[in-house]
Amino acid sequence: MKVAYYPGCASHGIAKDVDIATQLIAKDLDLQLMEVDDWNCCGGGFMDDKNEEIHTSLNLRNLTKVKEMGYDKMATPCSVCLNSHKIAVDKYDNDPDLKENVDKKLEKAHIEYDGGVDSEHFIWVLIKDVGIENIQKHVKKPLKDIKIGTYYGCQLLRPSNVMGFESAHDPHSVMDLVAATGATPVSFPLKASCCGFPLMGSNPPVGLKMANNILSDARNNGADMMVHPCSLCHLQLDVTQLKIKDQFKQDWTMPIVYITQLIGLAFGHSPEELGIGKLTAKYLRERGFA
Amino acid sequence: MVEEKEITVNVKKYDKEKGEYWKSYKVQADRYTQMTEVLRKIKTEQDPTLSYRASCHMAVCGSCSMKINGEPRLACKTMAFTAINEKNEVNLESMDYYQEVRDLIPDMDTFYDRMYKVEPRLYADQTVISGENDERMTPSEQKEVWKFEECIWCGLCVSACPSVKEDEKFLGPAAHAKGYRFMADGRDTKKEERIGILMDSAWRCTSCYMCYEVCPQDVQPVIAIKKTKAYVDEFPGTTELITMARKHDSTIAESIGESGKIKESKLYLKTFGYVAAMKDMMYMMKEGKIKYAMAKDTDVKNMDEIKKIMGDKK
Amino acid sequence: MEKKEYDAVVLGGGLAGLMAANNVADAGFKVAVVSKVFPTRSHSAAAEGGIAAYVDGNSDPNDDPEFMSYDEVKGGDYLVDQNAAELLSRDSGEIVHILDTWGAPFNRQPDGRIALRYFGGQTYPRTRFVADKTGMALLHTLFQHATGFDNIDFYNEYYVLDIVKDGNNVNGLVAMEMKTMDPIFLKSRALLIASGGLGMIYQHTTNSYINTGDGYGIALRSGVPLKDPEFVQFHPTGLYPSDILISEAARAEGGILKNNKGERFMAKYAPHKFDLAPRDIVSRSMTIEMREGRGFEGGYLGLDLTHLGREYILERLTLAYDAAKTFANVDATKEMIPVRPAQHYFMGGIDVDITGVNSDLNGLFAAGEAACVSVHGANRLGSNSLLETLVYGKETGKTMVDFLKKHKNVESSDGVDTIVDNAYSYIKRETGEHFGTLLNELRDVMWENVGIFRDEKKLTEAVKQINSIRKRSINMYVTDKTTNYNTEVFNALETRNMIDCSIVMATAALNRTETRGAHFRDDYPTRDDDNWMKHSIAYLNGDAVEIKYKPVIVTKWKPEPRVY
Ligand SMILES: Cc1cc2nc3c(=O)[nH]c(=O)nc-3n(C[C@H](O)[C@H](O)[C@H](O)COP(=O)(O)OP(=O)(O)OC[C@H]3O[C@@H](n4cnc5c(N)ncnc54)[C@H](O)[C@@H]3O)c2cc1C
Ligand code: SF4
Ligand code: SF4
Ligand code: FES
Repeated sequence: MKVAYYPGCASHGIAKDVDIATQLIAKDLDLQLMEVDDWNCCGGGFMDDKNEEIHTSLNLRNLTKVKEMGYDKMATPCSVCLNSHKIAVDKYDNDPDLKENVDKKLEKAHIEYDGGVDSEHFIWVLIKDVGIENIQKHVKKPLKDIKIGTYYGCQLLRPSNVMGFESAHDPHSVMDLVAATGATPVSFPLKASCCGFPLMGSNPPVGLKMANNILSDARNNGADMMVHPCSLCHLQLDVTQLKIKDQFKQDWTMPIVYITQLIGLAFGHSPEELGIGKLTAKYLRERGFA
Repeated sequence: MVEEKEITVNVKKYDKEKGEYWKSYKVQADRYTQMTEVLRKIKTEQDPTLSYRASCHMAVCGSCSMKINGEPRLACKTMAFTAINEKNEVNLESMDYYQEVRDLIPDMDTFYDRMYKVEPRLYADQTVISGENDERMTPSEQKEVWKFEECIWCGLCVSACPSVKEDEKFLGPAAHAKGYRFMADGRDTKKEERIGILMDSAWRCTSCYMCYEVCPQDVQPVIAIKKTKAYVDEFPGTTELITMARKHDSTIAESIGESGKIKESKLYLKTFGYVAAMKDMMYMMKEGKIKYAMAKDTDVKNMDEIKKIMGDKK
Repeated sequence: MEKKEYDAVVLGGGLAGLMAANNVADAGFKVAVVSKVFPTRSHSAAAEGGIAAYVDGNSDPNDDPEFMSYDEVKGGDYLVDQNAAELLSRDSGEIVHILDTWGAPFNRQPDGRIALRYFGGQTYPRTRFVADKTGMALLHTLFQHATGFDNIDFYNEYYVLDIVKDGNNVNGLVAMEMKTMDPIFLKSRALLIASGGLGMIYQHTTNSYINTGDGYGIALRSGVPLKDPEFVQFHPTGLYPSDILISEAARAEGGILKNNKGERFMAKYAPHKFDLAPRDIVSRSMTIEMREGRGFEGGYLGLDLTHLGREYILERLTLAYDAAKTFANVDATKEMIPVRPAQHYFMGGIDVDITGVNSDLNGLFAAGEAACVSVHGANRLGSNSLLETLVYGKETGKTMVDFLKKHKNVESSDGVDTIVDNAYSYIKRETGEHFGTLLNELRDVMWENVGIFRDEKKLTEAVKQINSIRKRSINMYVTDKTTNYNTEVFNALETRNMIDCSIVMATAALNRTETRGAHFRDDYPTRDDDNWMKHSIAYLNGDAVEIKYKPVIVTKWKPEPRVY
């Protein structure tokens, strides 16, 4: 099966390992990821603050490219990119004033947007199109006896009337995927709370505090490790973790992987193949999962 | 006849003497029964001490906010049959964040104080007061104002907002929706002052869409906050937060304008300054991720399209 | 006990109370607004459809305030005081202008002027609206405006117990802070009662849970009479079975009532106005349809919007659509909304004149649904109640300002302790009857016997039963002895007020041997202008209801048959 694929800036930058792992397991699952032609940054979380019209237009440009490639669906591994494209379409469809101005912009840029492309998170494709059973079939090294905190964050789930895949209050997608790897999913109260990344550009102390809350909550609820579905959560919770440790004087860190990295491990790939960070790789080795 | 079912309602009760404790009730309900009716039945037929707020029972007064199965909701806008689980049970608790007063009644004073801070009233333009300009508001302006004025002060969004919990300087979602509603009102004369009240606080929102999700009126406070942020360039003053946000956002805009994408290493440098960025690089190195930070993605090829979209500088 | 002094105290944070408070404060006087709920939770928030107004230059070119007054007089079946109706129409345009300057987000016409639409009983379209949530929008506008005054103190979530009197003068009121259960004496020479309606007296009502007729009970206990308490409006379209109002807008915008045969039955009862005939006529027609077996099982009829089209419904009738969807799981774009009549409005109220003054107690004023001016007479037209709260809230505010210029506070604090002791009696008692039992019985009696169709037998029975409930209520007791936000205490006190109102209403209904507007007597099915062109003025003296009369004020329009 082929699907249009939108990696997003982060997973082509500091969160490159998100892209690496996603590409790897897609191959295992016979899923051909067709990178969106000449895609641009969605501006999610920044451009919509600055200028709704530019934001909407940028996202519709990507979706137009997808259509031109002959697909009606675009998958992305990043919750923020997903949210950005979905909100853009929702606004365009429901706000006639905005639509009028966006149409003008698109016309100037000679972009002909006429709908018909859905944005989906890569994990939705895994669950809906690939199927949990099929994923289970590819598991070579079941991740036995490890408790994984299942984190969703905000942008994947909310607003649920726009995102549409699952309940924002009682989600199950990440949990289902973790269970498929043989690991034990652990739910925790802050599973859908924000990781604080969006605040890093204006109010980093509070942003870091939020990240610390998430990590502590997962830990307090018995998680050995944590898994998440978003390139930007990745920056916040994985990459920034040592900073959090110093700042909040914690004597622990929480090993963290992106969801496709966890699946990759169960499929038998090494942490290095999956681009997993040093700290987490070390932990995985100690526990005998690599 | 409509089919009835016995449901179990677990309520987290609270009073000063006994503190917090759970109590269960069994109630007959049908598919039309609202949770406020369930509560009324319990109160008039079983436990007169059960305490909760409710007034309109049609989701316009904002009295009956509570947590239903952990989810912030209006009780009157929740039907008993959709709230119960497989065991026909439903749990009710007072909202998060606010101090408990009694059972399902929290102290909402901090919510109201936030609302008053944004001076929630019109300071009308002279031409509006004199009546010479009764064509002051266009239908699309009315739509924008009304969207954010539709707030019923129920307090659910504030109870669920992660930034409110961590940051006492943040005004919170409802107050921002209210503040923006007056910013968007062409009849008002205090726009600059309002921007001054709201701007620093706006950058304390983490854009998590929790307020959008829980709002029973579809007010979408986070959107009001985003629309407020869009005025950052028109605001003459600054604060530590605003200065940083300006740098950060203009770097992104620049980056997208130049290459169609975000280049993080550059972003780091410009937003946090050289020293802080270097410190973060150290953390990245420890994680073994510095190679990614240095990686260069290709630029968008058809930059002409991007430039047309980005348009002339505002 | 804590004591605070004000120039004026306003009981009620709904539209009427806030409008008056704004006016009194604007004149520089110190005002306390007391409300048992945070003001924006007042029942005014529930008003959906809109507010009627004749706005010069923004009304139908053929319309005229005279026509508006005439519609009110006719709609009220000639029990309207015509000078009151004229004032209501005359000042309506000014009210809309004030609201505009205070920020009300009225829907607009393409050219930017305030939009208008038809409502039941109007010759020309006059209703101004904010989507389907006019009451909420206006209440927030007024409240927000009021919070801008330094000389208005809000006592939110304070429950008013009774009026403090000094001889035949008002000397303030006693309230209880609900959070702490501490009483407070708010002392003032002028008191406005704007406590809203009493829907909870009826088994089926569109009203808020808090509409328990407190102000009427408080007035009656102070020797102040209710005017025309037999007149209760039943709204045709309460959503089955929750009785949530489906706004008249649904019919104004083209909705049609249908029976179980799919017939548009209103064609039979109101051949000209059809579904937009006044509420009493539509409610009765519906009851007849159901009585004669043309209702649906369970007891309801259909309100059909489907022919209006999905887009139109979602745009113009969002609240009706949402209500049906949320509270009855019915998709109004595809199926009929199940509806039945329910209590909606109390035309009677504290007897005041056209300036808001009550003549039984010096310094007592009333406005809004708590008052009877009387602009609605025997039946209120849609959109006129919001207008009344504002026009008469303002008018009464003006009168209060004049009054305050002439009268100063006095020293006395007599009677304050008795009021508190009376309220505490329910808490002190250890056994007796519980308020819930009495209340549920009362609501049944009122619905069955003092409802849409009345006759001597039903009403005599009602008086008997309410009297017995009232006797038993002396032994009402409260199980909850805690001292923070003890809602059971307040429910008991509300029940006391509802019982006092009910006995007055039932007695006056039994007394009026004619049919007029919403007061429909099966045994006296016609209007009797020779004997009954007069207002009932009902006092409650201990156990006895005493009824006196006042003439109806007629300025221009002589009674004629009311045909729609
Ligand atoms: C569902 C519905 C829809 C309606 N739609 C319309 C419409 O479209 N157009 C129209 O014109 N009219 C409409 N009406 C009627 C209209 O809403 C009311 O008549 C009007 O709002 C009454 O306003 P008010 O200020 O008199 O009282 P309310 O708004 O009821 O305010 C009463 C105040 O008194 C306070 N209070 C009462 N008792 C006490 C006490 N013991 N201690 C302290 N405070 C107390 C309350 O807290 C409250 O603040 C509608 C009514 C209903 C039920
Ligand atoms: S989006 Fe902003 S205001 Fe809304 S809940 Fe999240 S942090 Fe709070
Ligand atoms: S914005 Fe929505 S959730 Fe928040 S207080 Fe207003 S109505 Fe309630
Ligand atoms: S009771 Fe008014 S919002 Fe629920």
